[in-house]
Amino acid sequence: MKDQRTASPAGQGPAGDGPAASNSRNTGPGRLLIAVYAVFAISASARAGYQILTKFPEAPLAYLLSAFAALVYVVATVSLAKAGSTWFKVSVAAVLVELVGVLVVGALSVFDPVAFPHETVWSLFGRGYAFVPLVLPILGLVWLYRRRPGGLASAA
Amino acid sequence: MDAYFYILLVVGLLSTGVCLAAGILKKAPNDVTILSVAAVEVALLVYLVGSIIRVIAGEPIAGEAWEFWGYMVTAMLLPPAAVYWSILERTRWSNFVLAAVGVTALVMAARMNQIWY
Repeated sequence: MKDQRTASPAGQGPAGDGPAASNSRNTGPGRLLIAVYAVFAISASARAGYQILTKFPEAPLAYLLSAFAALVYVVATVSLAKAGSTWFKVSVAAVLVELVGVLVVGALSVFDPVAFPHETVWSLFGRGYAFVPLVLPILGLVWLYRRRPGGLASAA
Repeated sequence: MDAYFYILLVVGLLSTGVCLAAGILKKAPNDVTILSVAAVEVALLVYLVGSIIRVIAGEPIAGEAWEFWGYMVTAMLLPPAAVYWSILERTRWSNFVLAAVGVTALVMAARMNQIWY
């Protein structure tokens, strides 16, 4: 019990019943996912910080949205890298918020370009970032589903 | 776009290509893929030194100077971070992480060029 928190990078396989099994989220393809999320967390944070510090009054809504998007990416990155079912739930929440965010902001930026200038990661469904922001949450959800706690591991 | 960008274009795409191929072939990160990422770092270092010399020589940066240097510093942190991340777990997936470095550095170099001119 004491060493529950030690995140062993080697997936413990189907025998693990709990903490060990849930660590499998940060191995294999999960590492790639986390790395991409980390890049987005850094670039979105830097962009939001820059926008808010230099030209916040120009478009407060868009820049607050930038900051919110950055926060979502940071939470997603950290929670994906952490083991345990609580972090799993945080991951699911963050990735769902990300998906809703990119869909809603993407749609609004198409229909109301005046209120949503193309200055957030999610504008135009993330076109400025090669649509990675649109694909990323879908991949994230697929990954989380396949590595859900008590999922494949205990069912198999 | 200046020569620094084109150097990164070639080196970055080459590195991404090599790492992608290695990942698709189910290879773990090896000397070739890690050295290709190191080459991206060297290209960035050349850009850094060249830019410092140009600033000292009195050439102005058209855009925000600190934004340019922010991109530079962030870009230079990417290769070491990716290599560190990839050697913690040496599977084919880590080669895809390494593959992301080249294109990311390339995109950042394009942005840095925009800021400079």
